[in-house]
Amino acid sequence: MIKREPLVLGNKTYKDVTDDICSLVETLPGGKYFLALLTAKTLLLFYLVVLGFIVGTGMGLMGVNHPVGWGTDIITFVFWIGIGHAGTLISAVLFLFRQKWRMSIARTAEAMTVFAVMTAGLFPILHTGRPWLAYWLLPYPNQRGPLWVNFRSPLLWDVFAVSTYATVSIVFWYVGMIPDLATIRDRAKNPWRKRIYGALSLGWRGTAQNWNHYEMVYMLLAGLSTPLVLSVHSIVSFDFAVATLPGWHTTIFPPYFVAGAIFSGFAMVVTLMVIVRECVPVFKDYITMNHMESMNKIIMATGMLVGYAYASEFFVAWYSGSPYEQFVFVNRAFGPHGWSYWIMVTCNTIIPQIFWFKRARRHIPTMFVVSIFVNIGMWFERYVITVTSLHRDFLPVNWDYFSMTFFDFGALFGSFGMFFVLFLLYIRLLPAISIAEVKPIIHVGKEEVHHG
Amino acid sequence: MKESNTQNSNGSSKYWLSLEQWRNDPEFKKMAENEFLSSPLGEDKEGGWARREFLTLMGASMALTTAGCLRRPAQKIVPYAKRPSEIIPGLPNYFASSFSDGVEGFGIVVATREGRPIKIEGNTDHPMNQGGLSARAHSHVLSLYDPDRLTGPRENLLNSEKTNKDTVSISFDNLDKAVVAQLKNSKVALLTAGTTSPSTKALIEDFQKAFSAKHYAWNSASVGTLLDASEKSFGRKGAVPKLALEKAKYVVSVDSDILGTWLSTTQQQADYAKGRNPGEEMSKLVAFESLLSLTGANADQRFRIKPSQQLDVVMGLIHNIVVKNGKSGYASSGTAKELLAPFSAVAASLGLDEMKFHQVAQELWANRGKSVVVAGGLTSQTAQAEKLQSAVNWLNDVLGNDGVTVDYSSGMLSQDSLSDLQKLIADLESGEIKTLIIHGFNPLYSLPESLGLRKSLKDPENTKKEDKKMVIYTGDRNDETGTVANFIAPDDHALEKWGDAEFADGVYSIQQPTVRSLYDTRSFEDSLLKWMKDAGRGGPAVSSADSWYDYLKNNWKNSIQARNRIGIGAQGFEAFWLELLQAGVFDTSNGKNSSARSFRLSALEGATSAAKTDGYELALYETVGLRDGSLANVSWLQEFPDPVTKICWDNYLCVSPADAEKEHIKEGTVVELMVGDQKVSVPAHIQPGQAEGVLGLAVGYGRKGAGKVADGVGVAAWNLASVNNGVLVASGLPATIKVSQKRIPLANVQGHHSMEGRQIVVEQTVAQFMENPQANMHKHKIFSMYPGHKYPGHKWGMVIDQTKCTGCSACLVACQSENNIPVVGKKYVLQGREMHWIRTDRYFVGDPENPDTVYQPLVCQHCDNAPCEAVCPVAATVHSEEGTNDMIYNRCVGTRYCSNNCPYKVRRFNWFNYTKKVRKPENYAMNPEVTVRARGVMEKCTFCNHRIKAAKNQARVKDVVLKDGDVKTACQESCPTKAILFGDLNDAESAVAKEFHNNHNNTYSLLEEWGTYPAVKYKTKVRNTDELKGSHGGHHGGGGHGKSGNDGHGKGGH
Repeated sequence: MIKREPLVLGNKTYKDVTDDICSLVETLPGGKYFLALLTAKTLLLFYLVVLGFIVGTGMGLMGVNHPVGWGTDIITFVFWIGIGHAGTLISAVLFLFRQKWRMSIARTAEAMTVFAVMTAGLFPILHTGRPWLAYWLLPYPNQRGPLWVNFRSPLLWDVFAVSTYATVSIVFWYVGMIPDLATIRDRAKNPWRKRIYGALSLGWRGTAQNWNHYEMVYMLLAGLSTPLVLSVHSIVSFDFAVATLPGWHTTIFPPYFVAGAIFSGFAMVVTLMVIVRECVPVFKDYITMNHMESMNKIIMATGMLVGYAYASEFFVAWYSGSPYEQFVFVNRAFGPHGWSYWIMVTCNTIIPQIFWFKRARRHIPTMFVVSIFVNIGMWFERYVITVTSLHRDFLPVNWDYFSMTFFDFGALFGSFGMFFVLFLLYIRLLPAISIAEVKPIIHVGKEEVHHG
Repeated sequence: MKESNTQNSNGSSKYWLSLEQWRNDPEFKKMAENEFLSSPLGEDKEGGWARREFLTLMGASMALTTAGCLRRPAQKIVPYAKRPSEIIPGLPNYFASSFSDGVEGFGIVVATREGRPIKIEGNTDHPMNQGGLSARAHSHVLSLYDPDRLTGPRENLLNSEKTNKDTVSISFDNLDKAVVAQLKNSKVALLTAGTTSPSTKALIEDFQKAFSAKHYAWNSASVGTLLDASEKSFGRKGAVPKLALEKAKYVVSVDSDILGTWLSTTQQQADYAKGRNPGEEMSKLVAFESLLSLTGANADQRFRIKPSQQLDVVMGLIHNIVVKNGKSGYASSGTAKELLAPFSAVAASLGLDEMKFHQVAQELWANRGKSVVVAGGLTSQTAQAEKLQSAVNWLNDVLGNDGVTVDYSSGMLSQDSLSDLQKLIADLESGEIKTLIIHGFNPLYSLPESLGLRKSLKDPENTKKEDKKMVIYTGDRNDETGTVANFIAPDDHALEKWGDAEFADGVYSIQQPTVRSLYDTRSFEDSLLKWMKDAGRGGPAVSSADSWYDYLKNNWKNSIQARNRIGIGAQGFEAFWLELLQAGVFDTSNGKNSSARSFRLSALEGATSAAKTDGYELALYETVGLRDGSLANVSWLQEFPDPVTKICWDNYLCVSPADAEKEHIKEGTVVELMVGDQKVSVPAHIQPGQAEGVLGLAVGYGRKGAGKVADGVGVAAWNLASVNNGVLVASGLPATIKVSQKRIPLANVQGHHSMEGRQIVVEQTVAQFMENPQANMHKHKIFSMYPGHKYPGHKWGMVIDQTKCTGCSACLVACQSENNIPVVGKKYVLQGREMHWIRTDRYFVGDPENPDTVYQPLVCQHCDNAPCEAVCPVAATVHSEEGTNDMIYNRCVGTRYCSNNCPYKVRRFNWFNYTKKVRKPENYAMNPEVTVRARGVMEKCTFCNHRIKAAKNQARVKDVVLKDGDVKTACQESCPTKAILFGDLNDAESAVAKEFHNNHNNTYSLLEEWGTYPAVKYKTKVRNTDELKGSHGGHHGGGGHGKSGNDGHGKGGH
């Protein structure tokens, strides 16, 4: 009988697991970490300055113009929202399917979701002309008339979808962390550390009743999160699909967006995991090559799904008989923004094909490069959808080009600063791998326990 | 004289209020004069407090409290049309007035709010513009509030080169002293724009008599050549003939932009449109053009020629009619044949289609007496210009048009002459004339430097101070001419001063001030009067007039009325005067007949056919927006997309597509243009329809000292013109170019210029239209599961006639003025962020070498099924129960989703806080009825919602039903050709409803297949040609359309 490779390597004992994972929280990080944090923080600071300028002066600083009303902000919003999907998929969907390999990557993937949604959430607010009034999109009894919202608008659905997603993700992530936070509390020697983690662990005692409630809540939240994997990006896609604009008005968008989201999300997880593995060598035992390979397989599969969507869009455009629709797609590939289309196609459908080879799937530098390309490609996918549809629509007099300004790039790259600051803080402040979930899957007490 | 402390001058005992007064302290005296211690109204500061004065004061205070902060002109003026018994704050008052813009005159109605003019509208009773206005006319209101205007007289501390720009402030008193002393001591010349004002002319005559001065006139759009040709052709100069385009069935324009820039364009557009009703009687416009002008863009048939070939075209046509076909009385004339001999094979030598050329000649002959041939304007101002005008006169004579469609009896009276101007310069040079008063135009800018005006104003070295030349300029800013002027005595703005005009022979107009002078300025006429009075000269007319107003009124009473035997009736002159002020116009031109003048063939002696030229010919031209550059500092006009090129904020070298390819010129490539020894570097624009070998450059740009807006925009082109034989040569100038690698982006508001085979502007030939008004039109069956909106009351709608629309874009500036639309500047136009609510989309059809041009004014379509409404998350754009799509600025958070979802892209976003950038006092030009928009909100055409509201309120107050025509949108009102119909679609009798709901006429909805049900419909563009250049009948639908035909499913409302 071929033995399955263990999910956790290194013949860990329970204590090893606890020590490994808690060590990150309990020791002072090295210079490399601080250098990374400083870089990310600088980027975040730069981001804040850019946002300050945009909010202070006006949306006009960005490249958006008359036909192209949505630009970098919306593109990057969809990009970050999409990133989040892999986290939920891993932590919730794979949980429900009892996929044990998810245990060691679920926490970080879910953290990525939370941070991605936080990063994304700023953009729709930022892209409005009057961001200080963005709360008008919330339907609550008010003294402004009362001014009610327009439930027919997909942007409003977006508000609900994203806020629900953010709430559920945060709760799910946090609830999952409670037993681990209690572990850190219990190990803490510093009174402040004890107090802070004590408060965070919400009085966890580890009793059977605690565990019983915990597991019930965790499963329910997993159940609640699962439809969100499908619904959030479907609704985000409605922003486009419900509009009448050729190139946006397509029924394929919801599944296409969801596939794309999972695709980009897994690419981001791979990127982050490679970094985590490199920075924290002990995690290589938990986040094994098998994990990476599984994720690469998913990347390739979803990459082909989006590739199919690209092709079918062209077919439908031809089949629709609508000259506007046909024009948009020809223009997408061969118009002035054609370069972005070919970047997208190359990054998303061609480059991941390398994962047909097992060696590539298990080769860290390769997968790192591919995952970066996929991220670039997926950003360009949203660019292609948003910009190429808008910049040449019905009346040719309106046609114009879209070019990004300094502030567009500032907002785009700055948002990575925000994301990485959050992520780096998370790595050293919270248990980055679920201790409670990993322990049940290690082979303790079996034949290979004793070594050395 | 020392004043007594105890007694007033009249001997009464004096009471004192303070020791300062007792001591006669000068400080106190000053204070007493300035403060309201005495009467604020009366001039006599000696008297004490009288009972009557007290009552007057109290009355005035009462009036002030009711009138708010009104600035009332001192003289009595009478509102036109709506005559309120008193001014009601919140309601506009309308004053009939007039003003002239170059040689073009306008009857206007000025809307004022709380005493400040905010909008200019056309006077519908005025025969010149007939209610329409040009883009420039609308801009006059903003030029009143131009922040760069001078706020008082200035003295220039000149340098010997006469290039100094720095001026110091001076009072009018000191200025008058200096000027009067100079006037008494030296010979004087007046250099003015060609005025048509009878009273100003009378005053100038008085001034000439008083100082034995000479008067010279010049128009930047010179009519001098035309008048000289008239003298040669008919023996007398006469007037610039009026083109009776409404009577003409066939119009041939030879490089003359009669719809855009040449002569009375608004009137010509209106008249031209009258003949453009599709059908048997539709007129035909043929253009022979070097550059593509607005006229060429509207032409049914267009030939491309070089400027040097203009004369050949006209002579060739005459040859074709007279010699080849033996028609007209000249057929037997040997002299005529001799003259025409060099022009026997014009079509071939010019490379024109011989068949088509022949056809033009034949059609002209067939329409004799009902046709017009016209040349004129900068582009036809070649060295041959006078011959060209004579040839045009001859052709009109051959065709029997002279005196019929070319009506010289009610022509335009503006005059100018370059040879006179040259005499003046010679006199200045020699020192014969030492004093020059410049009024009404900017000669140091709009005359070529080579004419030598600046040089002639220099004093020879070691000139004694009292022998030095003096220039007095009445410009409203320290511009190019300001650098040579010792004194600038700024004239009032046209909206601040009295005046009159005789735009066409017998058409008298009155100009009322609509606001007291904003600054310390004085009308040119008042200045002349003052100087005459101060010098103790001038006739009885001068001495009996206290002010220009008196002089004007007296002139009307004693001269104009007497000359025209105007029956003033029992009421006397005062009643007539009041009526005149109300109406703004007094037309005595009716019933005048002109008959054919006899043409003298000698005028064309020596006319030769153009030699073949290989090099480039430069043609200067005026743009519809900036023309001669006099209004260059009005931002509305700088951001006015040129109707032909759609570029704003720059002038550029127009190059034909073939030449661009040959020279490797791309759009915006910087080209060095050399004409003689003059050089300019200018970005190139590739202009479809332009003749090969021709370069075009607009004048009016490259101003220096015009103000913050105009300075540094474009390059000055007037210097490229030259002087030849008494003619200002502005076209056909031999030029060479040097192409650089540099590129300057041009701010084009249009991203693309072809319709890409989509059904956007539907074109038809007359024959097609007459056979089936819906020819070439693809109609769609549209299904909806939902019931539409209900419109129980009004349902506003618009029909735009694309045949009538000339693309002049006056509506754009009208809308800008009405709706407080901001200007964004070149940088942001380049990013596609211009804010115009109505725009005139221009498409080219056919071969880029000589395409047809179509125009489509695009406003918010106010769709019944509006895509924008559904997607706004905060319900900031909603459907009204009267069918308008309303934008609620306060509610908008600025997601721009509505704009993305709008298939017409008519929505405009406030990317920045544009209102904050409005410079004082430009904010006074804002219409208080329309909100200024904050940053971050979307805006768009409202169908002039505030006008609808105002009309409904009026109807309610009067307790009447709103009639068709009570509501007019700003664009509709301004349209010279009345191409825009607006009204209530629920009122079956309204003009717009009849067009809109007719399923068998040539109206269609734009992007009908998208199911938006617009409240705007377009009438097809009907061309009077045999074939269209674009391919038609293509299938341009989205999904769900039925078969082509007259299903008539495009109507709005369900």
